[in-house]
Amino acid sequence: MRSYLSAFRLRRKMELQYRGAMLGGIICQVVFGLILIALYRALYAGKPQALPLQHVVTYVWLQQAFFRMLLASDPDLLDKIRSGSIAYDLCRPLNLYGFYYARIMAQKITGSLMRAVPMLLFASLLPQGWGISLPASLPALLLSLLALMLGLLCVSALENITMAFTMRTLDPRGIQAMLNLLMMTLSGNILPLTLFPDSWQKVITLLPYAQLLDAPIRLYTGDVPVGEAWRILLIQAVWIAVLIALGVWLWNRHQKRIVLQGG
Amino acid sequence: MKTVRLYLRSMKMLMKCQLEYPFSFFLQTLAQLVMEGGEMMAVILIIDRFDRVNQWEAGDLFFFFGIMSVTFYLTECFGRGITGNFPYLIRTGQLDTILLRPRGVLTQVLCSAVDPRRITCIAVGTVSMVIGCNLARVQWTVLKVLAMAEAVLLGAVLILALFVIEAIFCIYSVKSVELVNALSYGGRSACEYPIDIYPRPLRILFTAIAPFALVLHVPAAYILGKPLYGWPEWTAFVCPLAGAVFFGLIYLAFQKAMRFYRSTGS
Amino acid sequence: MSYIHVDHLQKTFIVRKKRETGRLLREKETVFALRDLSFVIEKGELVGYIGPNGAGKSTTVKILSGILTPDSGNVSVDGRIPWESRREHVRNIGVVFGQRMQLWWDVPILDSYGLLKEIYRIPDADYRQRLKELTEALQLENLLRTPLRQLSLGQRMRAELCGSLLHRPGLLFLDEPTIGLDAVSKLALRDFLRWENREHGTTILLTTHDMEDIAALCSRVMVLGHGQKLYDGDLPALLEKYDTSRTVTVRFEDPETMPALPEEASLSREGDLVKVVYAPGQIPTPEILEKLQQAGTIREMTIQPQNIDVLIAAMYREMDL
Repeated sequence: MRSYLSAFRLRRKMELQYRGAMLGGIICQVVFGLILIALYRALYAGKPQALPLQHVVTYVWLQQAFFRMLLASDPDLLDKIRSGSIAYDLCRPLNLYGFYYARIMAQKITGSLMRAVPMLLFASLLPQGWGISLPASLPALLLSLLALMLGLLCVSALENITMAFTMRTLDPRGIQAMLNLLMMTLSGNILPLTLFPDSWQKVITLLPYAQLLDAPIRLYTGDVPVGEAWRILLIQAVWIAVLIALGVWLWNRHQKRIVLQGG
Repeated sequence: MKTVRLYLRSMKMLMKCQLEYPFSFFLQTLAQLVMEGGEMMAVILIIDRFDRVNQWEAGDLFFFFGIMSVTFYLTECFGRGITGNFPYLIRTGQLDTILLRPRGVLTQVLCSAVDPRRITCIAVGTVSMVIGCNLARVQWTVLKVLAMAEAVLLGAVLILALFVIEAIFCIYSVKSVELVNALSYGGRSACEYPIDIYPRPLRILFTAIAPFALVLHVPAAYILGKPLYGWPEWTAFVCPLAGAVFFGLIYLAFQKAMRFYRSTGS
Repeated sequence: MSYIHVDHLQKTFIVRKKRETGRLLREKETVFALRDLSFVIEKGELVGYIGPNGAGKSTTVKILSGILTPDSGNVSVDGRIPWESRREHVRNIGVVFGQRMQLWWDVPILDSYGLLKEIYRIPDADYRQRLKELTEALQLENLLRTPLRQLSLGQRMRAELCGSLLHRPGLLFLDEPTIGLDAVSKLALRDFLRWENREHGTTILLTTHDMEDIAALCSRVMVLGHGQKLYDGDLPALLEKYDTSRTVTVRFEDPETMPALPEEASLSREGDLVKVVYAPGQIPTPEILEKLQQAGTIREMTIQPQNIDVLIAAMYREMDL
């Protein structure tokens, strides 16, 4: 457990070093948010929808704030593979799957929290129709936080699987890029999933990509009422179980492989 | 012109390198296709749900999206030296090597990289433009063709200039480079749609500061037969020059940055 | 008018130290890279430029090549100010860095040369002739189709050298060209440089840590320390003046041999090696050698001159720095 905490702390220290870059990143993200909202406002002005505009605005802000959680990116990994120091990780007496899992989660949490808080603060100060709205209710908020945690577990498990493949192919660009791509398109980042055709939504919301942000956001805004929350949480739980099981199996297989190759 | 020859020769050499690993190249190009396809899908879904924005109908929206995509990704493909390679050149000291050669710095930087993976993005953009033209029933004339060529060319110049700003930030070791991303990538996202749907602050940002609207939207609107703000025809040819003016200003700043670089060493 | 004229050159750097915990701003430290440096180099000279790390050698080369601007002082190379007429100046110089490759990495070196031909606008006939001459002299004929990354260090250095001379520069800067090379490559490189200097009158400024490079190539050597010129003359005189210690390592036929040496020489044994450290000023080297030969049959012997850093330190002591 201590090693997982240290992974957290190390990550946070690294992120803090890039303060200047982070500020620029936050501003950039905020500008993106404003642009998207301006677009949706213009669209809604022409043809109002059943889904309240405010929900879309909130959706955009939450997506932008937690954007960092979406992407699979471990710049260290590429260097580690190239330099061969990945072998050290493999020699450590740790549960390898768990170690990388914690690492991925640490990256996502520290990376996004530090940006999300100032961004959401700013978004809450914006005038009506531009800013983020309050949660539908207290239970809605709590459930959405729970869904966020589960979504995080889900996507981290997914990323851990791609990492297993990366270990094998020794080239993270291809497989990571693919994952990022799918995340970008199917998570609701480019266009809120709530604006997709209803028939499409039925399918996409079942996929793991939608679990990270789309699911919690729907709970937050009340699109999915508290009574129906169990559906979402169930889907998330199922995916977590499946992806972890798959991940563990893949890792065990790879571990044998790598040990056999002699590092 | 000898500079063009140098550029073409560099491109040829670089592409030969990149295509040495065709499978990896294919995969990455495919990934780009999915990415840009996703962006276009967003446009399609928006049109599906909202039909139109103000006076702009489906065909118009596809055209605007297309012309921005084509321009942006053409620039990222052939201008990669400036759009993505500059930090690497500084980090590895290759900028010094560039200074030791008897050619312009920006010229050599442009010659240092190419990104042919963008070709699928350019293709998607072209498809979108074609769909848009058909839906909007554009009547093509020689003038309109010229307007489009001018728009794309000066659009590329504008986008290059925005990335030169990033390069300047890099030279001065300014950490918050992402600020410029708000202009370049933000500008791309915003100006995929006609500028007049946006509120005033955004309109000013992308007309007076990073003049995407002047360079791309005015000619595009003219081609679609719905002149932006009802402006006269000649504006479709004059407004894009804002891109050249912008580039000129940024170029002066770049030269100053290079003087700074040479006084501090690496 | 001398070919290279350096007058009272001054250059300082402001270095930001790593941010300490608890402090908001980084501390700044001023580094005086060059202090009042002046020298003159005539056309066709082959000059060695030595000094300990951080002495300012690279800074000098950067200023002379025009990629760095000094704080004050005048520099004139072939009548031009390097950093002001960058393109004209750079057209006439070649630079080879020992650590950094200037050719393209993934591409056959012949393609790199083709691009350089374009960059330097070398006429076709000129290029062909020069390429032939250089590839023969540097034995690159079989390597032309190989990408740089697949070459060994020695081969890369030769390829770099060829690339830097294609446009027939009148002036060549070499920054640690023999670093990391094996003995054979070093000799070959030195032969080539000597040939280039003699055959084409190329002025060469050689920065190096390797005293053997200097001994083999340069009739003139400049020593730089803490940004100042400490010596400008020929090598033998330099060694004679400041060389305060020499080490002779001997392996005798009979490991038990104990040579009889003067008091001032220190003797130590390491395994079956005998080490003698002495001051050539006090005891001439021939005398030491004679005593060693008298002691017994010698199987192997090496004579090491002083480490350049120790030499410079000795120079400082002499100059009260």
